[in-house]
Amino acid sequence: MIFAKMRKGGLLAVAIASLLAGPAFAKVTVLGWPGGPEETALRAAADAYNAKADVSAENKVELLFFNRDGFWDKLQADLAAGSKAFDANLLATYSIGRYAPFMEPVELSEEAKDVYGDSVLTTMQYEGKQYGVPTDLSLHFMYYRKDLIDALLKDDAAKAKFAEISEKHLGKKLEPKNPDEWTWDDYAATALYFTQAVNPDSPTRYGTVLQLKNLLFNMMVFQSLPRAYGGNWMDADGKITVSSDAYRKGLETYKLLYDAGATPRDSLSYEFAEANAAYASGQVAAMVQWNAAASDLTSKEKSPAVAETTATMAPPGGPEGRFTHIHGLGFGLNKNAENKEGAKAFIKWLSSKEAALIYAKNSGAPALTAEVVKEVAAERPDLVQLGEFASKYGYVMNGGTSAKALSVYELQAKEFTGYWSGQQSLDDTLKNTEKGMAELLK
Amino acid sequence: MTTLTQRAPFSEFKQLATPLVLFLLVFLGFPAIVNLVYSVSDVTFENLRHPQVSGFANFASVWNDASFWQASWFSLRFGLLTALLECALGLFLAIFLSPLIERRSWLMAILMLPLMVAPALVGLMYRLVLHEFVGPVPYYLWTWFGASFSFLGPASAFWTLIVVETLQWTPFALLLFYMAYQAIPKEIVEASAMDGARYRHRLWYIELPLMAPTIVVALLIRFIDGFRVFDNVYVLTGSGPGGSTASLSIYIYEAFFKQGAIGKAVAASVILFVVSFAVLYGLNYLANRRKGAIR
Repeated sequence: MIFAKMRKGGLLAVAIASLLAGPAFAKVTVLGWPGGPEETALRAAADAYNAKADVSAENKVELLFFNRDGFWDKLQADLAAGSKAFDANLLATYSIGRYAPFMEPVELSEEAKDVYGDSVLTTMQYEGKQYGVPTDLSLHFMYYRKDLIDALLKDDAAKAKFAEISEKHLGKKLEPKNPDEWTWDDYAATALYFTQAVNPDSPTRYGTVLQLKNLLFNMMVFQSLPRAYGGNWMDADGKITVSSDAYRKGLETYKLLYDAGATPRDSLSYEFAEANAAYASGQVAAMVQWNAAASDLTSKEKSPAVAETTATMAPPGGPEGRFTHIHGLGFGLNKNAENKEGAKAFIKWLSSKEAALIYAKNSGAPALTAEVVKEVAAERPDLVQLGEFASKYGYVMNGGTSAKALSVYELQAKEFTGYWSGQQSLDDTLKNTEKGMAELLK
Repeated sequence: MTTLTQRAPFSEFKQLATPLVLFLLVFLGFPAIVNLVYSVSDVTFENLRHPQVSGFANFASVWNDASFWQASWFSLRFGLLTALLECALGLFLAIFLSPLIERRSWLMAILMLPLMVAPALVGLMYRLVLHEFVGPVPYYLWTWFGASFSFLGPASAFWTLIVVETLQWTPFALLLFYMAYQAIPKEIVEASAMDGARYRHRLWYIELPLMAPTIVVALLIRFIDGFRVFDNVYVLTGSGPGGSTASLSIYIYEAFFKQGAIGKAVAASVILFVVSFAVLYGLNYLANRRKGAIR
């Protein structure tokens, strides 16, 4: 009797749990990026979509999230196994080629081009096809101490010292400039000037902080330097072009800064968090860092030593122009989706102006065109600079969305850090990288 | 006296052993067979279910990969050095702290605390402790000596990782050795003292030989653990500049997930398995021969 009651109770509990856990009404399941502003923004967008009168009950959206750790590996395993657990899933620029065999191209709304612009849409393209809607964009800013640069620009004695240092280390006399006019040489000269190992009178211990850990994301930060000198992964014919003067220049500049002590000695183990901590200490004059760091580095609570004196600019330029590496997060269509039509409709709507504005107002980081961003500029001033830099300076390397893009970054991370740490010559580094990339991108 | 084999008929053994055999076949045998197939196949995430056999190309690729040998050398050095350091330190502490621990047994609980922390968390902790602008160690080095020491730079990363690993796992060796030390019959030690043996002689000729089996086991366990290290190294330095701190486990993980070279990663695992098996078999053979010689 007791057992029968327990069994009944158990069945009831299972039924209730299934109702709560399962998609009670939602028929379009979307796998999102958990635990950050992206989740908040996606929830807001999904709520708005579900509230629309023309979205039928069976096409309403339900969101799924799992842990960030190992997210891409788990997603790859799920997709490869033909999972039907989600209809639409998160996608990143550098992993599109990897996931493309398990996904389907999508059709965006007619407004998409006007909302995001061409360069941002390319972050979700693979072999000429659109695989997703770019909801969040990441690029790089030059963060610098405005107080220090302003003081340098006003001080004649400091300018003379600056010229002396630049001539000694870079082989040419340079004058201090406003960061908006910096080339990579100006940045290097400024970094050296603000380094106590080079200039004992420097108010900061280090002129810059480089993220040199053997990590693929650090290679994304680095790419804009060779790109400004014309560097690319491969040419239009698919020939690997990494063994070039542009990459040579980029790698040598980093090595020069590391060897001169312009960046902490432990930079070879630094990534995003370590670089931020170094800059926030007030002992670093300038650094290239992801835009995601802006809110922390300009927050008086989180970075009291630098918040009020930090300004942001696009990374420096070179003979070929000024560039910032962009990569995006977005949403695409699972080839094995159970509700393909519903998922397509949601993705299409997500690329509309209406959805982009909702996403932007709720902590998301879409790179919007100047016309569209105006509408959220008061609430999200940071998005103005994001959109501007993305459309003016944003680029994706040739092959940057290929199936092996992640592996290329991994290869570069290993080879380049090997050179910066003095374990191999520049020639060997470029030779090994070119050989490895040719193998990966063939 | 009858033994179990004499009493239990073969059919009962079959019944008792079947679940275990099935378990081993499903959870070890099946993955092992799949791995063997993958190791001689051209396999990617796209064709996981129907890989194409490609001969021994994956093995050749691993064999000719300088990174594999670099990682093997790292694992071997790391495993040997950490095992030796942990056991030496653990032995020293077990013997010299023994009188203290006997009287205050709660000390053992404190000494065991590092074992309670997950290795990945230890890595994360040291990332903070050693960071020039956050960590206390670089802070005091800068304040007192005006020096900015690079703990995780190419020249020092290996030794920093050795210290981190040793600090975490020495308590394990200490625990084993303390138990072995306590198990030495008191009458033997007392008798030797009565015979006039000095402390160092007792230690060298009586206590250490009696603890030898435990020392060998501890060395072996710590070597295996050090050899396959992944978590704390990966969190602290990744695979290091130029792959300088990549252990074999990291090499296999990166080949599999980061490069998508599944066949190559599995081939490296198979090589590792074969070598480990050969070494363990060899050690076992030597141990048996020694036993035979003693008899």
